[in-house]
Amino acid sequence: MRLELRDVHHVYARGTPFQVEALRGVSLVVEQGEVLGIVGGTGSGKSTLVRHMNLLLAPTSGEVIVDGVDATTLGKSGLRRRVGLVFQFPEAALFAPTVEEDVAFAPRRLGLEEAEVRERVSETLRSLGVGDLAGRSPFALSGGEKRRVAIAGVLAMGPEVLVLDEPTAGLDPASREELLALIRNLREAGVSVVLVSHDLDEVAEVADRVCALQEGKVRAVGTPAEVFYSDPAQAPATVRVASLVNASRPGIGEPVRLDETLGALRALPGV
Amino acid sequence: MTSLGQFYPVDSPVHSLDPRAKIVATAALAVGLFLIDSTTGLLFVAAALVALVAASRIPVRTFLRLLRPVLFIVALTVTFQILFSREGSVVLEWGFLEVHSGGLRLGFFLALRIFLLVSAAGLLTATTAPVALADGIEDLLSPLKRVRFPAHEVAMMMTIALRFIPTLGDEAEKIRGAQAARGADFSEGGPVRRARSLIPVLVPLTVGAFRRADELAEAMESRGYRGGEGRTRYRELRFRKRDALAIAVSVLVLLVGVML
Repeated sequence: MRLELRDVHHVYARGTPFQVEALRGVSLVVEQGEVLGIVGGTGSGKSTLVRHMNLLLAPTSGEVIVDGVDATTLGKSGLRRRVGLVFQFPEAALFAPTVEEDVAFAPRRLGLEEAEVRERVSETLRSLGVGDLAGRSPFALSGGEKRRVAIAGVLAMGPEVLVLDEPTAGLDPASREELLALIRNLREAGVSVVLVSHDLDEVAEVADRVCALQEGKVRAVGTPAEVFYSDPAQAPATVRVASLVNASRPGIGEPVRLDETLGALRALPGV
Repeated sequence: MTSLGQFYPVDSPVHSLDPRAKIVATAALAVGLFLIDSTTGLLFVAAALVALVAASRIPVRTFLRLLRPVLFIVALTVTFQILFSREGSVVLEWGFLEVHSGGLRLGFFLALRIFLLVSAAGLLTATTAPVALADGIEDLLSPLKRVRFPAHEVAMMMTIALRFIPTLGDEAEKIRGAQAARGADFSEGGPVRRARSLIPVLVPLTVGAFRRADELAEAMESRGYRGGEGRTRYRELRFRKRDALAIAVSVLVLLVGVML
């Protein structure tokens, strides 16, 4: 599906002394089957923005459009099943006695047959590499395992767009790599992924397009190369290295991913 | 966003009063209201409260919104009072229900009293930062330290509890959101189903609260916290003339109210 936000504004606690304008006219499209990275500093509006993607927050003004249709006409449960939203630190919402039951919560809410629910749960857990944890208590797992179980809880709905808010925050490097691999697999399967992160390096590795937010507005949107080379001060390590090398040894181009950058550096004459 | 007991941070003469003065005045009012038994007396106190709310620079609509949760309790109490009081002459009769003139009078009284009481308490919490409130209570309780009453610990518990209300509120909102994203619906079905639908929110919220308590205890210990003895404060409370004046005026208003 194609998810579009048109000129979305969001004001928290409107009309009180606590009023904050978190989004100031954001327009953005998530295309079918792409990985869209959303980057920006703390307080730039990333988390507020993604809560509009399944209408958990309603825009103060502006529209959310799904395949050309105004999302408010679709019904919340329908929309939320199609746009899976994984919050920051999603493991804080684990609640069931076993991993299996926790992951089964969403598919059961969809009203699926019990056999179908079980099938989906075990399949989703397996795809996240935690199939062996099904019978355990979610509270007795390690941080990385909890995170994956919590993501499985959303993925088991079979969403067409998966929105991940800071999915790798606080994870060890190995778990982080596995999560990035999962994102690539989802894209292979035709699922769009929105990856919110302030880790520019990981966004550089998996994103097809990048949107940079700043103070509730879109600062830049485009391919990772376009966005990251537009402001090398706020770019992943690979882009900064390439920019610095380019200053003395031009001709390196605009590589973004680690393997691209390595390739470009090795291709330089005399290296 | 606005609820009873919430601090409303603006600058006003009421806000800048010493919390101890405000607590004492509120407590005096709570007692005084039940000594007043004339309508003029209650209305006199009500007028004084209206003047205070005006002086506090809290918009009237916001203030009334703070009181909304109490209206239900007021309505309930008044209804019972009116229906089950058998004083005075019968005003209305409907089946086995009789409404007496005395009941109406008592109901009106009770409503006004509860309303004034809650308004006063609401004004106290709306104009006093939670930390200042807890400091004030600690000071007022400190004479009890002689009989080994843990005044500092009680005040610290209150401060922490107050401090964590918004934090837990945010957390609950986040968890609600996360479960809503998984298809949870908190508004459908009867009361039993609705209560059941809260389990996916309450379980993680409780787990999180215990985790936070642990973390806070560790953080406090690692910063050398060890209770009240010899502890100084960053913000010292200063009881000034106008604070004494505020208490005196409140007591005076109540005395006039009792005499009216």
